[in-house]
Amino acid sequence: MLQKKICMLGGFAVGKTSLVRRFVQSIFSENYLTTVGVKIDKKSVAFPDKTVDLILWDLAGEDDIGSFRVSYVRGATGLVLVVDGTRPATLGVALTLRERCEAEFGAMPFILLFNKSDLTDRWAISDGEIDELKQRGWQVYLTSALSGEHVEEAFRQLASMVAK
Amino acid sequence: MARLPKEVRSWIYDFFSNERFAAYLKIDARQCIEAKGGNLEHYGLTSLGTGEPVAGQLEIMEGLLPCPELPFHMPMMELPGGRVADLHFFGDDGSVWLVFLDATAERDHQQRLQQKAYEMTLLQERERQLNAKLQATNEALRESQEGLSREYRRAESLLLNILPASIAERLKADEQIADNHAEVSVLFADIVSFTERARSVGAVTTLAILNYFFKAADLLSEQHGCEKIKTIGDCVMVVAGLPTARSDHAQALAHYALELREAARRERFAGEPLSLRIGIHSGPIVAGVIGKRRFVYDLWGDTVNLAARIQRAAEPDEIRISDGTHKLLGPNFACEPLEETELRGTGRVRMWRLLA
Repeated sequence: MLQKKICMLGGFAVGKTSLVRRFVQSIFSENYLTTVGVKIDKKSVAFPDKTVDLILWDLAGEDDIGSFRVSYVRGATGLVLVVDGTRPATLGVALTLRERCEAEFGAMPFILLFNKSDLTDRWAISDGEIDELKQRGWQVYLTSALSGEHVEEAFRQLASMVAK
Repeated sequence: MARLPKEVRSWIYDFFSNERFAAYLKIDARQCIEAKGGNLEHYGLTSLGTGEPVAGQLEIMEGLLPCPELPFHMPMMELPGGRVADLHFFGDDGSVWLVFLDATAERDHQQRLQQKAYEMTLLQERERQLNAKLQATNEALRESQEGLSREYRRAESLLLNILPASIAERLKADEQIADNHAEVSVLFADIVSFTERARSVGAVTTLAILNYFFKAADLLSEQHGCEKIKTIGDCVMVVAGLPTARSDHAQALAHYALELREAARRERFAGEPLSLRIGIHSGPIVAGVIGKRRFVYDLWGDTVNLAARIQRAAEPDEIRISDGTHKLLGPNFACEPLEETELRGTGRVRMWRLLA
């Protein structure tokens, strides 16, 4: 059995819990309920040659990076960095959290999600910025937990990366 | 620290055991469950089997062991059953103890506080974003307003070029314009043998001739308070007493005619001065604006028709005026009478030649 721990990282209210709910249960709620501590979900991703069980650690978002408990990430084999595409400052939060994890546990595969792509009139990230991140060889997706756009695709990509 | 008395130790034990639903797992060096106990039922973990790997049965343990930093504390973990536990790990001779203490109420309380704080922060962020957007919108609005008023000024100056100012004002106020004017004087002037001349001097000189003539007509209109109504080919139509009435309209137009003739004589084209044929008549007319998109201010009535006919009857360099206009001129102008002439559509008409 292939079982992999994955941590959801990002600022508060970027949609980490909603992305997990969309991916695991295929549902979305408009109500915002902040996560305190951590909640764990599991979802199997099937490939032709194997099945990977992703253990998704939905960590509390941070507005103060200093209070982030990096110990939750122990044992993780991959990261989902989540950015709110309507709040540019959350990109910096996600990247800083990744640095903290790598400093503690070493480099590990990750995907970078610009979430809330359905909010086109409030979108605040330029295509140029996204292209530049892609050119670093990063796996970058524009996702919407509301519509489900690119959510499945992104998690599958991460599953294939951590299963190698 | 002094050892606590038995009673306190006993209370602490009861508190954690009963109030915080203490439960434990003991995990051996092979990462299998060696022992379990306490209030596991509270966390929905009674089915865990001893002697089997812990990570396969309890997903939260995936990747956590071996843990190099013991003791280790992982607060507020929501378990699959919905309960929230503080997890405490501590080592014991190769084994690891994992203690569960319920933190559901504490988590819920903290969640309520945190929720309020984050919602407030989100609202403030949103407010800042909206304010910035509003400011940008205002800026854009101001710019487009400036552009609009530039356009408006341009349109206005164009309108003033083709309509008298007072008429343009009324037109902008969406007024229908058709006015009766009881007393005005109307002048027509054209260039003698213009067609033949145009043929012989070529297009460029022809244009220069027209340009000179019409510019002089415009300039003198301003000087004498007359209105140039329109040009028809090489003919110009000018009125005095419009759109504001004036009693000396005939005199004004007579001065105008004399100076226009003078201006024409002054300039030579291909060696030849311009020679004009000028006619003036006075009387009532109707003035108004026609057209919806391209406005034309024009005059109508018998007075206009007769003025045009008098002009066509005039000799080269002659300013011919009707009897009516002559009566209005008074003693300050030198005129000589002409023989009564038959004009098309009006019968015999008494006319005068304006000399100076």
